[in-house]
Amino acid sequence: MSSILIQNALIAGETTPVDLLIEDGIIVRKALAGSIDTSSVDQVTDANDKIILPGLFDLHAHVCQPGYEARERIATASAAALHGGITGLMAMPDTNPVLDNAAQISTFNELCRHDSIVEIIPTGCLTKGCMGEEQASYDSMRAKGVRIITDGDKTPENMLLLYRAMQYTSSLGMIFGLRGDVPSLTAKSLMHPSTTSYQLGLSGSPACAEEIGTETIIRLSQETGNALHVQTVSTGGSVEILRRFKNESSGLSSEVALHHLIFTHENVGQYDTNFKTLPPLRDTSDNEALIAGVNDGTIDCIVSDHTPCTPFSKKQDFLDAPHGMTGLDTFLPVIYHYLVKPAKMTWETVVKSCSSNPRRLLGLQPISFEVGSVANFVVFDPNGESKVSNDFLRSRSKNTPFLGATLDGKVDVVCFSGQLHSF
Amino acid sequence: MTTPLTQEVLLDELGITCAIKAMAQAIMDKPSPHPLAIVGLLSQGDIIAKRLATEIQSLGGDALCASIDISLYRDDIYKLEAKPSLRSSNLPFSTDDMRVVIVDDVLYTGRTIRAALNAIFDYGRPACIELACLIDRGGREVPIQPDYVGYVMEKPKAKILVSLKEADGKDVVTLCNN
Amino acid sequence: MNPRKDLLNIASLTDEEIHTLLESAAPMKELFTKSVKKVPALKGKSVLTLFYEPSTRTRSSFEVAAERLSADVTNFTVSTSSVVKGESVHDTIDTLQAMKVDYIIVRHYHSGLPDVIARHTKASVINAGDGAHAHPTQALLDSFTIKEVYPDTRGKRVLIVGDILHSRVARSTSMLMKRLGMEVAYLGPGSLVPKTQYTGIPCFSDFNEAFAWKPDVIYLLRVQKERQDAPFFPSSREYHKIYGVTEERLERISGEGMYIMHPGPVNRGVEICDLAMDYERCLINTQVENGIACRMSVLYHLTPKTQH
Repeated sequence: MSSILIQNALIAGETTPVDLLIEDGIIVRKALAGSIDTSSVDQVTDANDKIILPGLFDLHAHVCQPGYEARERIATASAAALHGGITGLMAMPDTNPVLDNAAQISTFNELCRHDSIVEIIPTGCLTKGCMGEEQASYDSMRAKGVRIITDGDKTPENMLLLYRAMQYTSSLGMIFGLRGDVPSLTAKSLMHPSTTSYQLGLSGSPACAEEIGTETIIRLSQETGNALHVQTVSTGGSVEILRRFKNESSGLSSEVALHHLIFTHENVGQYDTNFKTLPPLRDTSDNEALIAGVNDGTIDCIVSDHTPCTPFSKKQDFLDAPHGMTGLDTFLPVIYHYLVKPAKMTWETVVKSCSSNPRRLLGLQPISFEVGSVANFVVFDPNGESKVSNDFLRSRSKNTPFLGATLDGKVDVVCFSGQLHSF
Repeated sequence: MTTPLTQEVLLDELGITCAIKAMAQAIMDKPSPHPLAIVGLLSQGDIIAKRLATEIQSLGGDALCASIDISLYRDDIYKLEAKPSLRSSNLPFSTDDMRVVIVDDVLYTGRTIRAALNAIFDYGRPACIELACLIDRGGREVPIQPDYVGYVMEKPKAKILVSLKEADGKDVVTLCNN
Repeated sequence: MNPRKDLLNIASLTDEEIHTLLESAAPMKELFTKSVKKVPALKGKSVLTLFYEPSTRTRSSFEVAAERLSADVTNFTVSTSSVVKGESVHDTIDTLQAMKVDYIIVRHYHSGLPDVIARHTKASVINAGDGAHAHPTQALLDSFTIKEVYPDTRGKRVLIVGDILHSRVARSTSMLMKRLGMEVAYLGPGSLVPKTQYTGIPCFSDFNEAFAWKPDVIYLLRVQKERQDAPFFPSSREYHKIYGVTEERLERISGEGMYIMHPGPVNRGVEICDLAMDYERCLINTQVENGIACRMSVLYHLTPKTQH
């Protein structure tokens, strides 16, 4: 029987620090700071001047196992997640083989049970093999814990197929995870159309492709009565559309990737492949509109869109290099450095969009600090700093633009499933 | 704060003028059946070449005057981090069967003249080539000797600075003590 | 000029470097009039041409330039089969490193690929055109050609006509022209001219509007109707009618003394009518000659890291 005491814990959103006593992963006492005796406790952590956040949940990560272990593994992805303050994540189905049937999901769950130190919930494919042609077996995957069905980065080109899949699943209580896109408009696109794309000679597709696509999938979900989660929203125009439909469409939720809140096309510089993302990085005005969308609740969740790539693949030229950046290791420090510290977002909003909203969407219990709750939280030190080096990164891939940078704030301790992980 | 350099003057304005006059005279004194071309090496050599040609004309001689840039013929070109910028050569006539006098300001290792010889041959086949230079600094690294010299330094290899009116506003050759 | 290993684009050149590269091109061009056109500047150095896109003209121009500087030139034949086999550019780079060449002249259909090669080799990399990104030696020869007819380029107006969207030439040459004080405007169909907000270059909708702007040079770009996905304009005939130098337009061009330029190869009857090719102020052949001089200047001034 192990006991952990967190002293002077200021929980995000509260005003007075408390002491938290945890035994076997359950919060057994919560009392005024300094009131719990330390003598019989195994581990004591002083959280003075730090902030306590519920464990974050990332709705969008690529863990690459099975099939692409050179990029990432479940063990390394989960270690990276914990390091970034994330205690639960949803894995995209674009492994190899893809997660398009119950057997694959079972295998994946088994791998996670064995290798993962965070909670991993799989998504299931929308179409067999992610090929955009046949419906995958939704109900059997649901039985294995799948809540969201998605083809990962791909948006089906066949609207009729999507429409019928939505009709079919409307009674199953599953959520469609889709990205707003018109594939024929964006097929050859490498960047947001901008001064940068012109100067670099990289083709850009109109931002309205995402917006047309977003409106299309929302209308289809309304028509079919299906729940829809719009993935990786990236333009101000998409935020507008979501805001318009938010009230009238109860099953509508959305997410934004953290990098779309802070980076623009200008970061691509002279062909920096770490900034090649899908959807592409857009304008400052889009950053602002997306942050406003998170703050006013139009966008429900902030995700990492953690996409590991091998060093070799990212060393290729901009066209050949795959898109994506890793984001788990640096998740919370980046949120603090770029959003909370400059007062663009409050801790309350961070908790909502990175923990309670994604958990609610998946039907998971919200994280509580009351006595009797499971201890699942992060001790974050805003006065510390995170030096992002190769050693810092737990992820197997290092394709993060933060490599070499120093971020304000540091994840000190994560308490999850009865264990205290100190960094 | 800059301390005024004590510079030893090797040749003053008068000295330079006399040296050029003397070289012109020597060139004239040497009998040759071939038409004369004075070819100065950019930069500085071309200025002296022009003065020599003028001098020769005032002595009743006749000389064509030209200038060439030998940067592209240097043997040390890719040892240099920064390449010398190129200037336009001005050699508008064929050197076939001419008596060519190459003119430079300072003769030192002889490598520049080696390069100049190659360059000259790309313009034609002269009857003969001679060499005139204002200052002989010694320190030769290739078997090249001048036919006409304005001033031979007593202390070979010492660094010198040649200033000419056309380029620097004054005529003076000084020894650099550093 | 400070030592510079690669020439990848115009943007990275300093004003001083631009000045030096253009200045040195004139003495290079003078060499062409001598009986011996070759100089020993790059004797013993090896130049490798690596063209992933067919281009007889640019490749030959570089070859002649390198040979006139006495460098040894090798053509690295990129067979389409090795590309199909999945040989990555990194495998090719390793091969080139092992060959210890001093200069690599690369053309590729991917924007930014020469940057990748430059980062991973000691050789000087010269971008001979990459995707829709840059074609710096073309830009240098264009501006050099204009400087020959207008020694003071400031305030001179250049109208660039055609497919701006896919044109590395338009990007590089307009950038250099602007840095030399020229004014640049674009003219072309909406499907082939990016928005002014991205390019920073004004765009005319037709030739009448453009002529009223009083350009000094009409710079025509090669257009291709054939693209894999969707066409950018209905027909070459229609293009010629609206954006080509027709005989009627040639009359006006010649009446106002404008110069005509084109990076080649020309599509007669599309960008330009036959008659315009013989127009006295058509500089297309001068551009070819100046191309060799400018490329010699570039080869001469770059400093590979292969020495010692």
